[in-house]
Amino acid sequence: MATTDALALFLSSLDRKSYYDVLRVPADARPAEIKSAFHAFSLLYHPDLYVNAPQEVGAIASEIFKRGVEAYRCLSRAETRGRYDRALVRGKIRVEPWVPSTRPPPPPMRTLEMIARTPRGKKLGVKADRLIAIARLDDARVELASACQCEPENLELAERLAFLIEALALEPS
Amino acid sequence: MPFAVGIDLGTTNTVVAAVRDGVALTIPDPQGQRLLPSVVSFHPSGSTLVGRAALDRRLLDAPNTVFSVKRLMGLPWGSPEVQASRAKLPFELCEGAHGGAVVSARGERYTLPEISAFVLRHAKAVAEAAFGEPVERAVVTVPANFNDLQRAATKTAGRLAGLDVLRILNEPTAAALAYGPPGARQERIAVYDLGGGTFDFTLLDLAGNVFEVLATAGDTSLGGDDIDLLVVERMADELLKTHRFDARVQPSALGQLRVLAEQMKRDLSAKDEGLLSVDDLVPGERGALATWKFRMTRAELEAASRALVERTFMVCRQALDAAGTKAHDLDRIVLVGGATRMPMVARQVEQFFGRPPIVRINPDEVVALGAAIQAALLDRSKRRTTEAMAHPTIADTSIATSLPDDTATPLPGVDLDLAEHLPGGELPDLPLVGLRHTPEPKPGPTTFLPGAASKPLVFDVTPSDKRLASRTMLYGVPPPAPAARPPPLPARARAPTMPFSFEVPAQSRAPTAPLLPSPSLPPPATPLARSPSLPARPAPLLIDVTPLSLSVETVGGFCDVLIEANTPVPCDRTRSFATASDGQTVVVVRVAQGRSARFAENTFLAELELSGIAAAPRGETQIAVTFEIDADGILNVRARDTKAGRETTAHLQLVGGQAAPLDIEAMQARQAAHPLAPLTRESRD
Repeated sequence: MATTDALALFLSSLDRKSYYDVLRVPADARPAEIKSAFHAFSLLYHPDLYVNAPQEVGAIASEIFKRGVEAYRCLSRAETRGRYDRALVRGKIRVEPWVPSTRPPPPPMRTLEMIARTPRGKKLGVKADRLIAIARLDDARVELASACQCEPENLELAERLAFLIEALALEPS
Repeated sequence: MPFAVGIDLGTTNTVVAAVRDGVALTIPDPQGQRLLPSVVSFHPSGSTLVGRAALDRRLLDAPNTVFSVKRLMGLPWGSPEVQASRAKLPFELCEGAHGGAVVSARGERYTLPEISAFVLRHAKAVAEAAFGEPVERAVVTVPANFNDLQRAATKTAGRLAGLDVLRILNEPTAAALAYGPPGARQERIAVYDLGGGTFDFTLLDLAGNVFEVLATAGDTSLGGDDIDLLVVERMADELLKTHRFDARVQPSALGQLRVLAEQMKRDLSAKDEGLLSVDDLVPGERGALATWKFRMTRAELEAASRALVERTFMVCRQALDAAGTKAHDLDRIVLVGGATRMPMVARQVEQFFGRPPIVRINPDEVVALGAAIQAALLDRSKRRTTEAMAHPTIADTSIATSLPDDTATPLPGVDLDLAEHLPGGELPDLPLVGLRHTPEPKPGPTTFLPGAASKPLVFDVTPSDKRLASRTMLYGVPPPAPAARPPPLPARARAPTMPFSFEVPAQSRAPTAPLLPSPSLPPPATPLARSPSLPARPAPLLIDVTPLSLSVETVGGFCDVLIEANTPVPCDRTRSFATASDGQTVVVVRVAQGRSARFAENTFLAELELSGIAAAPRGETQIAVTFEIDADGILNVRARDTKAGRETTAHLQLVGGQAAPLDIEAMQARQAAHPLAPLTRESRD
């Protein structure tokens, strides 16, 4: 099964490739180029093209296609692409692209900004509120911990920190 | 030889189509009807009636005649949609064992996939009767906005009907496929699909032979049925006022009003005013029945349904925003679904998008035709002959698909789309005057209401194509009489016919050489050589998307989005979950699908219970969970313990969601116990 081996080898090679290399576009590719590169990629690896192939070939093609989707989703939007470019400089070739929703969710309880009493505490609280809204809980914990240091007597703030730490243990790392 | 079909499993009607000898066509039942009503009736004799025969029972035996359940499939019992439908439907809905709705009829309870399975079995039987060959595989379409549970329920229905479901395909995407291959230049099109029960709006980029869905949005409880209900309300109000007769408390009267309301709606698409005269509804003096006359104007209907149509544009805006495009920037707007026959819909669409929409293929059949094309592309039947081969190839396969380009008559107020027929792809200023805003020559050609069966089929397959005409004759459907056809259009006659067909070059389907592109090599050229003959085109490739964001619940009841809406499928995302306390052996992850940032406002899909975790200090055990959305838009979950050297120790259990295997067996047995009434050539009425 030469085809299977070849496909499997190609799939494993993707682990070492940046999203640009997966789609085979230059790092300064325009959005239209990325789109047509994804189309070309799809015409090679979309699982629908392998319906007549043995099942394992189709399964590998599907894995490859999904990697193309990951790259395309990241590179086809300026915001996620910009973040990826910065991560790439640090050598991170695969990211879990987090896209904040267009409308931030309403806070479930009183905001940390409301709870904090000192100007510096409030500033940190705002930061933590925002991070929680986009589910960056670990970063939020750092801000909230600093706020608690500013206001050691603020019990409500300490309670919220404990709550966040508890939540983090359940959180995907 | 077994063959594959495309089935548009609609809320109101189901259409079955197939590609035969390179031609996609919808398949009529022995009575010549191409729209098979999605109605199931449990007859006292024990037989199960589906389709037209069941539709007639809607008036005679309302409590045991089931319809309009498609949009309730996969929804929890407590959802507002189910509760609202429960009040309005004349048959009994109750809560099932798995928290979904079940239908109670003639002392038995049927899950909604079982009801849909009856409809699919009927469609299968119709196709088998037409060709005398078994149907084993099918592409079944669903509204684009269907969630995982609704898709899985539809797939279960297909399995129960004895079909190998090749793909759950989105209806607007199917329609786009039926509308044919894109031209050489890139085009951005929109499909506006207002069906019986659901509304979908999908934006696609067509380039070369790739159909890339950019964004899709929809409302699974907005459709023609809702307009019928508005008319029913009006009728019931008037009955109460003029005859002191409360139809709302009588399921059978309500059922009758629904049928009348639908008829009235259809009439008002062709006429400015409709008048109904009903003799068998209202009790009059001395125990006799009184005649009730109901009058409604198109203006009244439009005023009543305006808000509903406006709601569709909110959905359109949602998709346009997601794709980062504007209503006026689209190259084509395609209308799909029976409810788009309302002149107001076409008018409002034109206003919103700034250009007249296209209805070249019958909006009731276009989805099934697209599904049939996709079925032909995905059909594995060729595999048997090639299985022994070392390399995947379908070099011997040449699928040529052409659609009869004459299956549709123009709707009032809608431009014929001639652009595709003209070599330049440009639409010259053809004399379309007289075509637009002219009333339809014949009232509702696809009417299947009692008494309408004998009317000629205006939307029938073109008799100008000899192959099709003879094929059509074969099934006992006479070619439509010339009088029934709309007056010939000079512009249309001039347009050269270019049946679209595509071929599959061996290279594209068996990319043995370019499979291993070495990083140093330049990207391989798209291996889809155009054949020199113009109509031949490479097989289209659909890249569809998931309509809703998939998320897991985070602290505070928020969503952590794993896979965003409008991500191409198949796709996946892996997350690792850690234990929160020492010695914890079970981790529970809750998954939902929807557009809201709040977990509770989305559709809860399942609770993943990762159990069997070895006891260890907190945080030490991490379980990688891969969430995959497959090409059907259905969620699959795999769990893996990431601790080095250990394979899958975590056991994953989906709570809720798909029916358990045991249930499926029970449901299969019940399907076997319910023979469908045989297809008859004669109309039952």
